[in-house]
Amino acid sequence: MSRRLTGAAAVLACTGLACAVLASTGLIAGCGSQPAGVTGAGPPPLTAPLSTSLVTTQGTWAVGVMGGADPGNKFWQLFFRPATSGRWSLATPQGVASNGGLVAAGGGAYLVVGFRPSQNLAFSPLATSTDTGRNWTPGLLDAGLADTPGAIAVGPSGRTLALLRDGTIEAAPTAGAGRWAPLTTLKALAASAPGRACGLEGVTAVSFGPDQNPMAAGICARPGAAGVFTDAGGTWRPAGLALPAGSRVRVLGLTAIAGGTMALLAAGTTLFAAWRDGTRWTVSGPVTADGVRALGFGPGGSAWLLPDRGRPETVAGAADRTWRPLPPGPAGTQVLAPGTGGSYDALAVAGSRLTVWRLAGGAWARAQQITVPIQYGSSG
Amino acid sequence: MPGMNSGLSPSDPTLVAAFRSALLHQGAIVLLVLALLWLLWATARTWRPAAPPAAGRAATAEPRGRWLLRTGFGVLWIFDGILQAQPKMAGGLATQVIEPTAASSPGWVQHLVNWGGTVWSYHPVQAGAASVWIQVGIGAWLIAAARGPWSRLAGAASVAWGLVVWVFGESFGGVFAPGLSWLTGAPGGVLLYVAAGALIALPEDVWCRPRSGRLLLAGLGVFYAGMALLQAWPGRAGILAGMVKEMSATPQPHVLSSLLAGFASFAARYAFAVNLVVVIALAATGAVFLTGRPRLVRYAVWFGIVFCLADWVLVQDFGFLGGLGTDPNSMIPLILLFSAGYLALVPDVTGEMIGAGEAAGEAGTADRAGQAGEAERPGRLRPGVLTKAGNAVASARARSVAAAGALAVIVLGAAPMAQAAANRTADPILALAISGSSSRLDLPAPGFSLTDQDGRTVSLASLRGKAVLMTFLDPVCTTDCPIIAQEFKQAGQMLGAQAGHVELVAVVANPTYRSTAVTRAFDWQEGLATVPNWLYLTGSLSQLAEVWRHYGVTVQNLPAGAMAAHNDLAVIIDPAGRIRQEMDADPGPGTSGTQSSFSVLLSQYARQALRQS
Repeated sequence: MSRRLTGAAAVLACTGLACAVLASTGLIAGCGSQPAGVTGAGPPPLTAPLSTSLVTTQGTWAVGVMGGADPGNKFWQLFFRPATSGRWSLATPQGVASNGGLVAAGGGAYLVVGFRPSQNLAFSPLATSTDTGRNWTPGLLDAGLADTPGAIAVGPSGRTLALLRDGTIEAAPTAGAGRWAPLTTLKALAASAPGRACGLEGVTAVSFGPDQNPMAAGICARPGAAGVFTDAGGTWRPAGLALPAGSRVRVLGLTAIAGGTMALLAAGTTLFAAWRDGTRWTVSGPVTADGVRALGFGPGGSAWLLPDRGRPETVAGAADRTWRPLPPGPAGTQVLAPGTGGSYDALAVAGSRLTVWRLAGGAWARAQQITVPIQYGSSG
Repeated sequence: MPGMNSGLSPSDPTLVAAFRSALLHQGAIVLLVLALLWLLWATARTWRPAAPPAAGRAATAEPRGRWLLRTGFGVLWIFDGILQAQPKMAGGLATQVIEPTAASSPGWVQHLVNWGGTVWSYHPVQAGAASVWIQVGIGAWLIAAARGPWSRLAGAASVAWGLVVWVFGESFGGVFAPGLSWLTGAPGGVLLYVAAGALIALPEDVWCRPRSGRLLLAGLGVFYAGMALLQAWPGRAGILAGMVKEMSATPQPHVLSSLLAGFASFAARYAFAVNLVVVIALAATGAVFLTGRPRLVRYAVWFGIVFCLADWVLVQDFGFLGGLGTDPNSMIPLILLFSAGYLALVPDVTGEMIGAGEAAGEAGTADRAGQAGEAERPGRLRPGVLTKAGNAVASARARSVAAAGALAVIVLGAAPMAQAAANRTADPILALAISGSSSRLDLPAPGFSLTDQDGRTVSLASLRGKAVLMTFLDPVCTTDCPIIAQEFKQAGQMLGAQAGHVELVAVVANPTYRSTAVTRAFDWQEGLATVPNWLYLTGSLSQLAEVWRHYGVTVQNLPAGAMAAHNDLAVIIDPAGRIRQEMDADPGPGTSGTQSSFSVLLSQYARQALRQS
């Protein structure tokens, strides 16, 4: 009997022990935990979202996101305004879901659009137009495009560069029909002499130089070093600059301008524009932003910035290097688009509706409204 | 929780109908088994009358505490089994009960629970039906087997199944999740079933000593004290009102939801006072249980019953409402446990023999009784095995036969569940629930001549002699098409050696992106480039448009950044080139369970097509 009672006692004791464990577990679970500490380094350099605009010989193109709050209902759109008209129209290429984002680049007569991967799609379909977006030729990049507005560059001949998600840069004779060949990888570029010199951590933009050589830019570990590189016959050469700022520098955008190259740089929360005339860089004054909603290049070496908070800023070019504020953008402004004579359009988005505001007489005036036929629910 | 979510609605009519059908079929089998057992027993008794009960056994009755636990938890298990038969249970338990319960637990708990949840979501009908029969069987067994080893074994079965439910169904009762509270059911109602089962499994004479009752009450006293401490921990006071308010949103009669909403407002307004009352009540009850003094304990038991019932109604909302309640939560089991402890503590001074009539010659004594019967018939021939078995059956009591029937019910439930757990592919019922019933056809398949991913020309005629699983896929699709491609790939793997007689064929369904470069990119993306019987066909727009038209597929580009639209279709063509089946290939939620389910269905259709040729 005593053995049996011991067995019973064991069951009962286990109940008590379990209770004690439960209680302690609950108490432990009830205790709060400290948030992970933040390192003492300065703020990381700002990043560039995909919303942007670009000016080609045919006109102005703008990329922005529309639709609902759910990621499956966010659709990136491409709009076009011919150089000869003030009217915008929807130009998004058809056949692929744009939920992952669009990257657009122009060169010569070509406008190339890349669809970033989303959901179950892992590679990036491309579309090329030479007739202001009326017809598109499908193309393909058999890997995913990087999440940066500078991920595609097109030369006057249609030669195209593409920056992939893993930092690889590929090149093709044309985006529509050519076969892509790797130009370099992040690892190779970082291991090159100029890459080592700046401590290259990532590639953020590609472009063509004045001699039509491929260029790449990125983020460097060395404070103040803006990593810009040019491919000279298979060897990457340094083409960067040093900023007086003591923090890491990220190249947010890189583009070809007449006889040179232009870059938008972020050092912490301070932005600069920089112009290279072939050998020497000229740097703009600083402009500060908590975050970037959109930025882009305009004609004649100009650039614009739409910060998360505060007024839009523009810089006219290497000759006038001061950032100047525009009037506060209308509600929902997602992207600015340069017009003629220093004028700007603000493209404001509310769901499926795009409202174009035009800067006239120091104030924004409503110029156009477009209802975009967004197919809600079409992407799951 | 990968794998656990079937993505289907719990009230999906196909699932509900299949679940109901399975329960009806298995119910018929249960009735048949019980009828056979009864027939066998009645026949044996007619053939060979039962021996008289052994004289000494009638003197002892089952201890009252044990009787209360056994019958109480027997009734609870049966009630839980009936709850498991609710229509939404098969499709909803994994996603709406198990998954949310596990979500707040640590990763290792989620990982473990996910295994069970995946088994359930892959085989919802089998698992749902099994749970019904196992729980009804355990309950019936506990009630039927009053004495002896069979009764103790029923307790052990209760422990085993209770632990399964506690771990996989209740995520360890939420003891590893934050917000643990006695009021809301911690440490899990089923753990109390486990404790009760363990107590029933103890030797019966343990229950004859007041010391046992004292120990049981002491254990419960420690438990109450622990829960009081937990409830007193800073931050607990504010939790109760929110939980009650949440419970009031459960679908239930208006009067109950109003009662709960009212109490939630009260608890929110007087959060500290309510919590203080709870802490004091728990601590005081626990302290009295620890004293083991019968008179004090009696008051504590009565107080405990009232307090538990109040919590059961006002906080736990009965536990079983809303269509997916699996049990009446923890308060009723707790009442049974401390009441049994009290009954074991207090000697039965009235001499009343609860179940005395059952005591004689119970299930465990069947063999002995049979042997006694033999001993009383000395002049007979030495009995053979069949004679011994006949004697045993004839001398068994009705309760023993009922216990054997209950055991049969458990086996009936456990066997399909074990089979389902061992099967790593999902039940095709999930695919049928998503796609609806497919149409069986016998039509000539429209011919085509297109280009495969390697640039070779492929016609339907060139595939003659093989079954063809055919579908239409957009190579730059971001949602369904990659999932359908994976389903086809898995179907091919499931066909094993027969895969050599089956071609998996996709035709491009995008008017713009239709080059072989794009189909090859899709193949690499989906791991199809090395699948020998995979063909991704494309052609000029006019060629494709003709194939789309012949097979009833609509394909069109949509504006504003939308995918190309097309209907999802799978066509099964037999080796003679005749369409045997067409099904909606829309993959639905595209979970691992539904993907597996579609693959099973496709492989079944392919086998049928091979047989039909």
